[in-house]
Amino acid sequence: MKKILFLISFCATILVGCDKEINLVLDENKPLLVIDGSITDLAGPYFVQLSLSTPISTTTSIVGVNNARVIITDQLGVKDSLVPVINGLYKTQKIRGIEGGTYNLEVLVDQKKYTASATMPQKVNLDSLRINTFPINGEIRYSVIPVYSDPIFLGNSYRFIQKINDSLDQTFHVFNDNLNNGKVNQRPLRGGDDLLKIKPKDKVLVEMQCISNTSYLYYYSLNLQSGAGPGGGTAPSNPPSNVVGGALGIFSAHTVQQKSITIY
Amino acid sequence: MKRKFLIFNLIIGLFSLISSLSAQSTVVVSGSIKDKQTGESLIKAVVRIQELPNAGIISNEYGFYSLSLPKGNYSVVVSQVGYETLIQKIKLDSSQSINFYLQTKNILKEVVVESSRKNDNLTKAQMGTETINMSSINKVPVIFGEKDLLKTIQLLPGVKSAGEGNSGFFVRGGSADQNLILLDEAPVYNATHLLGFFSTFNSDAIKDATIIKGNSPSQYGGRLSSVLDVKMKEGNNQDYKVNGGIGLISSKLSIEGPLQKNKSSFILSGRRTYADVFLKATEKFKDNILYFYDLNAKANYQINAKNKFYISGYFGRDELGLGQDFGIDWGNKTGTIRWNKIISNKLFLNTSLIYSDYNYNVKLKNGETNFNINSNIKDLNLKQDYTFYASGNNTLRFGFNSILHTIKPSTFSGTVINSVAKTGRNGFENALYLTNNYRSTGQLTLDFGLRLSMYTLMGGDIYNIYKNGVAGSTVKLSPSDFGKTYINPEPRITANYRVNDEKSIKAGYARNVQHLHLLSNSVSSSPSDQWIGNSYNIKPEIADQISVGYVTKAFKSNFELSAEAYYKYLQNQIDYKDGAEINTLSDVESALLYGAGRAYGLELLLKKKEGRLTGWIGYTLSKTERKIDGINQNNWYNARQDRTHDISIVGIYDLNQRWSISGVFVYNTGDAVTYPTGKYTLQGQTLYQYAARNANRMPAYHRLDFSATYEKNKAKRLHGSWNFSLYNVYGRENAYRISFKDDPNNPTRTQIIRTALFRWVPSVTYQFKF
Repeated sequence: MKKILFLISFCATILVGCDKEINLVLDENKPLLVIDGSITDLAGPYFVQLSLSTPISTTTSIVGVNNARVIITDQLGVKDSLVPVINGLYKTQKIRGIEGGTYNLEVLVDQKKYTASATMPQKVNLDSLRINTFPINGEIRYSVIPVYSDPIFLGNSYRFIQKINDSLDQTFHVFNDNLNNGKVNQRPLRGGDDLLKIKPKDKVLVEMQCISNTSYLYYYSLNLQSGAGPGGGTAPSNPPSNVVGGALGIFSAHTVQQKSITIY
Repeated sequence: MKRKFLIFNLIIGLFSLISSLSAQSTVVVSGSIKDKQTGESLIKAVVRIQELPNAGIISNEYGFYSLSLPKGNYSVVVSQVGYETLIQKIKLDSSQSINFYLQTKNILKEVVVESSRKNDNLTKAQMGTETINMSSINKVPVIFGEKDLLKTIQLLPGVKSAGEGNSGFFVRGGSADQNLILLDEAPVYNATHLLGFFSTFNSDAIKDATIIKGNSPSQYGGRLSSVLDVKMKEGNNQDYKVNGGIGLISSKLSIEGPLQKNKSSFILSGRRTYADVFLKATEKFKDNILYFYDLNAKANYQINAKNKFYISGYFGRDELGLGQDFGIDWGNKTGTIRWNKIISNKLFLNTSLIYSDYNYNVKLKNGETNFNINSNIKDLNLKQDYTFYASGNNTLRFGFNSILHTIKPSTFSGTVINSVAKTGRNGFENALYLTNNYRSTGQLTLDFGLRLSMYTLMGGDIYNIYKNGVAGSTVKLSPSDFGKTYINPEPRITANYRVNDEKSIKAGYARNVQHLHLLSNSVSSSPSDQWIGNSYNIKPEIADQISVGYVTKAFKSNFELSAEAYYKYLQNQIDYKDGAEINTLSDVESALLYGAGRAYGLELLLKKKEGRLTGWIGYTLSKTERKIDGINQNNWYNARQDRTHDISIVGIYDLNQRWSISGVFVYNTGDAVTYPTGKYTLQGQTLYQYAARNANRMPAYHRLDFSATYEKNKAKRLHGSWNFSLYNVYGRENAYRISFKDDPNNPTRTQIIRTALFRWVPSVTYQFKF
């Protein structure tokens, strides 16, 4: 029996999956235009970032596209030509984001036209944040629950951006109301990974965005991409988005609220 | 239903008439073939007549045989793998019933896998069929030392593993849900334990397993790619026996014995893993729950020479959990009651009543709140199967099969959510079949038949009809209504032409239709995968397969080489849209996409069946693609399980009476996957750009396993054996996952990370029998 016990502990040590960095020769595609733009219910200006995708082997950086014409119009007839700031970043001059407003983006680069349309949902009030604790294997884990009352009608989507002591949690936290339509939310935001674990005395900042269902699908699809192979998730592809014309990225119109909490 | 029985009665009447006409010149010898020591009936034993080279038959699933012969004196030769060939002289002047009892061979020299025995090309036309002999599976090394039927069949050409250490398998380009896995005729909906690392089959309770790769005879139906027909042991009807095993992962114990000596017997077999016992002892994992168990039970009762009953059951369950907060459990229950009736010496009838149930539950507890997800699928199945031994040249098999499916999709409930009442859907699946095995007096054997399968949507739910993904009209079926019925004829034929004693050529065509479909959002199998039946949108999946084969003896008949090539076309294949939440959507059909598939390949198998060294080399060259509307810009793409080359080498060597050693080597092209072709930054995070689906490859997979078995003196009453094995001898870090992420030390650099699961897994198992 002792021998078996020893063998088991021996097995356990070698069974743990091991991660190793490797080199792979990857196909490289022609760089694609990336549109990253948003209109919020806060005061402007709002920004649209245009860049090009780069090969995996290069240093990650924003390769700005500066020779574009960027226009946003709204349903009131306001037409705003954005002005370049720096490295492919464009800013609005007069347009105003309001709940329920619809915004049309038009980007012209090298005689190619890209469009996107987004409607800002009505704001759902972020009432408070509360702390959720649960013990696992003798350790207490913490997570934050954003408290809000989902409206009675189906089809509301939310995105949460979580910062733990000013470090950005890289997870795309998105909720919809498929299951808890019309209820007070009790779902916690996952507490980050080992690198970014919530500990006592940490300050957690949560930004709540009321987003469209299109945006929800975009971020949710990104979350499903967890690597290739038998141990990976679904076959990855560029997430479905509202950008038409063959560019990557998303144009979102959403509301913004922030609250923070300190773990006791 | 009444009409159906009437038709059957008519058919039976007709056959009795034919047989009485032909019976004038011939007499019939019939009976059972059994193991002399245990009384277990022997399946697929070959019965030949020395004086009549063209007469012969193979015993059926219950060991029954029937042969029509002219009156005379004969020497009957009965052979079966692992048994001494029996030659018995008989005098036939009238029809009579004779049972044959075979003696096991002292040393098992045959290989685990036997697809064509010495003389069975005599009667078998089947293609793509391999039978697995459980008694010699012990010697093939497997991970954790846990003998596993599903992992052994993955070493055959045309059968591919779903991943490292995984019991899931793909046959000839089909997906995992396209395999019909039967345990004593009952379908097993999830044949794996512990997220795929173990199969639900306790090898101590299994008698025999056969895999048919797409060319199954008409009595089988309901899945596109393969049939894995697993039969439980019947139990020793001579003596009480106990056997068991103690391994690193699990222990098991079986008890068998006679209910009535020579006539009836029972077997009870249980298995449980005990990793949780050790987890509890550690501080770090003490709240983790992780175990599975299963129980097999079977009994048979012989009422008289013509009637015999069998009752068998399987019950298995997995429990995974994390303290009080999270738990998932799932399991299968199956039950089969069978009645064998020998209506006449030429007509054998088996009636089965089968129950199968698979369900899973997920519970999440979060402080004051609870959350549950559950789903289940239940089958109630009635089957009648007739075998009519018409004359020396024709054996007919016909019958029907009626299944009532009750499918409850994933349903959420709990304090934090709205419990959406999802109604279960019922489907009524029916099939009629007729197949004939014809042996010409010359060299040709033909198996041809037709299966007519029908699936009727039953009332009690609302069905939405989608056009191009947009909901259109709805059909509301009240509980007493019947909805749409899909009717599909499935013709099947295989031909075997014996060129000479050493060579034969085979060809076949088969259509298979599948009415139940598995929706899975994970690449490897997950207990929460959902089954769904046909609907107004989901049409039956259809596969047409043509194949040709060649079998020859080689190297002074010590080796057998077989080659088979196939082409398969699949219709109405199902996938779903990017980002679809198949579990929380109120109607999952709104997210489904449909398309076609094709697979083709060449399978080579070189086997050595006798001598001190036995084993085989299998090689598969294949291609598997899918074309789904809405995926990959509607172009053909590689299915995930597309692996160009797949090699497996198995060798078993008997060193002496006590020691034997064995090795397994596998190599396959990496799975088809999608790697990013670029990256970009969005809102401060690195995202990846993708092009064509599954256009890239994982690194090639290869591995060598080794094992040694020591058997103690067999003459003693307590017979023990030790098995030592080492999985992945040279510690290859096979890629289980390839992921891309920012380098934590330099976020502007992208790291490509390979996750590997198992390196060097040693194990030791002790088996005993008394």
